[in-house]
Amino acid sequence: MKISCLQENLARGLSTVGRAVAARSTLPVLSNILFETDEGRLRLAATNLEIGISSWIGARVEEEGRITVPARLLTEFVNSLPPAPIDIELAERTQTLNLKCARYEANIKGIDASEFPEVPTAETIGGRNNLHLEADNFRQMIEQAVFAAATDESRPILTGVLAKFHQGGLTLAAADGFRLAVTSADVGVDLDESAKVIIPARALSELARISDGEEDDIELIITPNRNQILFHLGNTDVVSQLIDGNFPDYNQIVPKAHSTRTILGTQDLLKAVKVAFLFARDAANIIRFNIVPGSELSPGQLVITGTSAEYGDNVSEIDASIEGEGIEIAFNARYMIDALTVVGTNEVALETSTASSPGVIRPVGGTDFLCVIMPMHITR
Amino acid sequence: MPIRLLPPDVAGKIAAGEVVERPASVVKELVENSIDAGAAEVRVEIREGGQRLIRVGDNGRGIPEDEVALAFARHATSKLTDVSDLDQIETLGFRGEALASIAAVSQVTLLSRPREQAVGQHLRVEGGQVVRQEGRGSPAGTVVTVEHLFRNVPARLKFLRQPQTEAGHIHSIVTNYALAYPGIRFSLTSDERLVFQSSGNGQLYDVLIAIYGLDLAEQLLEIEGAGNGQETEASHPAVAVSGFVSTPALHRANRRYITLFVNRRWIQDNSLSHAVAQAYHGMLPVGRHPLAVVLLDMDPTEVDVNVHPTKREVRFRNGRLVFGAVQRAVRRTLVEQAPVPSLGQRPQSWIVPDQFAAARDWQRRQALMAAGRDAAGRDAADDAQLALELRRAQGELQPVGPVRLPLLRVVGQVGQTYVVAEGPQGMYLIDQHAAHERVLYERMLADHNEQEVTSQTLLEPATLDLDPMLSGVLGEHLASLNRVGFALEPFGRSSYLLRAIPSILAAQGAMAGSDAREIMVDILEMLQQGDDPLADRAEERLIAAVCKRAAVKAGQTLSAEEMQQLVRQLEQCESPRTCPHGRPTVLHFSAQQLEKEFGRR
Repeated sequence: MKISCLQENLARGLSTVGRAVAARSTLPVLSNILFETDEGRLRLAATNLEIGISSWIGARVEEEGRITVPARLLTEFVNSLPPAPIDIELAERTQTLNLKCARYEANIKGIDASEFPEVPTAETIGGRNNLHLEADNFRQMIEQAVFAAATDESRPILTGVLAKFHQGGLTLAAADGFRLAVTSADVGVDLDESAKVIIPARALSELARISDGEEDDIELIITPNRNQILFHLGNTDVVSQLIDGNFPDYNQIVPKAHSTRTILGTQDLLKAVKVAFLFARDAANIIRFNIVPGSELSPGQLVITGTSAEYGDNVSEIDASIEGEGIEIAFNARYMIDALTVVGTNEVALETSTASSPGVIRPVGGTDFLCVIMPMHITR
Repeated sequence: MPIRLLPPDVAGKIAAGEVVERPASVVKELVENSIDAGAAEVRVEIREGGQRLIRVGDNGRGIPEDEVALAFARHATSKLTDVSDLDQIETLGFRGEALASIAAVSQVTLLSRPREQAVGQHLRVEGGQVVRQEGRGSPAGTVVTVEHLFRNVPARLKFLRQPQTEAGHIHSIVTNYALAYPGIRFSLTSDERLVFQSSGNGQLYDVLIAIYGLDLAEQLLEIEGAGNGQETEASHPAVAVSGFVSTPALHRANRRYITLFVNRRWIQDNSLSHAVAQAYHGMLPVGRHPLAVVLLDMDPTEVDVNVHPTKREVRFRNGRLVFGAVQRAVRRTLVEQAPVPSLGQRPQSWIVPDQFAAARDWQRRQALMAAGRDAAGRDAADDAQLALELRRAQGELQPVGPVRLPLLRVVGQVGQTYVVAEGPQGMYLIDQHAAHERVLYERMLADHNEQEVTSQTLLEPATLDLDPMLSGVLGEHLASLNRVGFALEPFGRSSYLLRAIPSILAAQGAMAGSDAREIMVDILEMLQQGDDPLADRAEERLIAAVCKRAAVKAGQTLSAEEMQQLVRQLEQCESPRTCPHGRPTVLHFSAQQLEKEFGRR
């Protein structure tokens, strides 16, 4: 292999694929990045066997070839180079990659590329259901769902995000044991049949990161046996395993009715919750909402309290427009902050019924999003 | 008071106390009689945990007409003729005390017909006296009905636990016999509901499925072949070991799940349970126990079962040999068969070339083998040396001085288990799990005393389907559980609905890879272990169990901030030096001690 490319391009490519490199693996080759010439371009690829990322960068190819090199060393070396062309040459016999850039030169020992697992690309995956989604729109949906996915592995299904395609629309849903987020949008997809897949939340987070600033649509391919999904961007492919199983029926969890609807400024509420959180941190994050409907003379109010037995307490008041009866209810501040951060509208509605039934956060106007948060209790 | 002979009814009740402790003992004696009678089917029926009624029916040999009345006399048995038979016991019973003892403390009705007789005998015994005997039509076999157990012994009655708990004990008796005799069809009906049934097809594995369910049974490994003791005793092994043991991925919070049988007799033997547990050396997390069903077959002359009236304990002529045989057989099974632990349902590797999968397997196998050598290869001398060092270390390490801890500076973490810290008096080693347990315990206890325990509602309520034993434990502690932050409600017979959990369990990372259901089962198992009759202590014990579950585990890497936080919180504790279970949280090496060890003084 003998190629040359620009330092900026190589650095960008390495940072794109770098997130898929396995952090700790019993298989040494997984902490490497694949270098491969591919039809006049350089393909970089990494995988941890759960997700895989391939990225193509422009290069002048004089001689074809492939090799894998340690990700961390290579990335840190390339990032330290000046913005200039890099000449890369592989010594086949010793499996050593030689890099020359301005007055810097390095030899990095690699592992034979035949030991590297095959990372499927849009061409090789052989899938169907090719769908096109607008990048910005899809990224916002991902942000509105992934935060609610479970981080611990007790129920593997819940570490994923349910993606449901239906008549022109897409719904994403995620839940851990205590909250649920659902977001839907009309994405103009034309599908004959509805399709449901569960995508690991981590793969979607990576996709959201990589697609930032992407102008083209994201093309989406699901393999025929429905065990992998591939997202094709301009120069990058992200492929992920799908999680097998049945996602809980979230429609049953979303309350059908409410007795109080409180409309608040999103930023006002977020700020007050964050302040209360400072005090609630060592009391299981519990913050109390006291919703007081207004009268003809005074506006309605939401009073938020955070209490620490050890350090003290805090009370904040926010004006709110309240329909229905007053109520006292407690939530985990962290769950509130997560939901309010992604709601994306200036005003937000909190729907509640009783102190022991779920609270629902919805945007006022804007996207079709909701977050169900289970309340906390004080046992007396 | 002059010395005199006790009247027979008093002596009878005293002797009965040794054999019949609780309803489960009655079931045990009657089921053993059925098995000794060569039954192919044993039906057990109980009401109100056996206190109201116990009925054991079989299709065995039956009792001939002329012997029926004698069956209830003390020391009357058909299983033994002279004292030399005691060395060759092949039946489960032999003392001739069971029926007499049961009859002394309850009302017994016996209906029995030997196959060759046309008419069965119906016999009613009250307070040890036969009150009626008559011929009556009956199916072949024997049905014994025991009613109003302990009604005439108020002292015993007082100590009976809740019917659910007693039913749980009976359930484990019946399932244990089903394990020992897979060829007999057992059924157990409690309050007119069938709670257990084995097929009687002779397959131990099928019985295991009936008891533990298919999911769990799939994680059991069959003990391979005859684990021989020593080759010295002729060609055939002195002790044959068979049964099933769990893979290292499956473990339980207590030892109740190690079930042992000697010559098909269910026994309790701490040293053999230990032999099983030791075979898992290094494979299970600390404080966890395997699930195992181990059957030993040996020459009856090698084992003395006539040690205790209930025959729960036995004595081996060569205990070490038996211990070794069990330990080796289990260990070999584990090393040869234990699969690579599965990572839940994490997506499988999709495209690893085959040779890598093989290589990884090999590595795992090597590691297992090495662990095996380590456990087996360390000889007694090493052990003694180790014990000595431990004792020396204990003598020298000062338990940390004043009650409160001084201000500490965190230095680092050792073995992902201990936090190393520095204070004005020298070095401190802190057990992260024990310390966190203490912190959570004091916080939760304070909340509990001020009635401020917080709980987090679950998104979906979890249904708990428990075995009768655990559902008994839950029933007993239901009110306490709800007071410490769980929200549980009965949901059918032995099921409960879990709607909320204490918020310290809901905190990030506290679940450590298990769902609410598994956590609940763990806590119930912890509760089951202790037998603390004081109700107010029970609630503290419950809080301790919750905190144990929620605390950071050994083996978890902590960030510098997390360690700092933990040490700060421990400093705030009322009694920071021990965990709620009494183990030390902190070891202290004084500056002088360090200087001395390094020869600076």
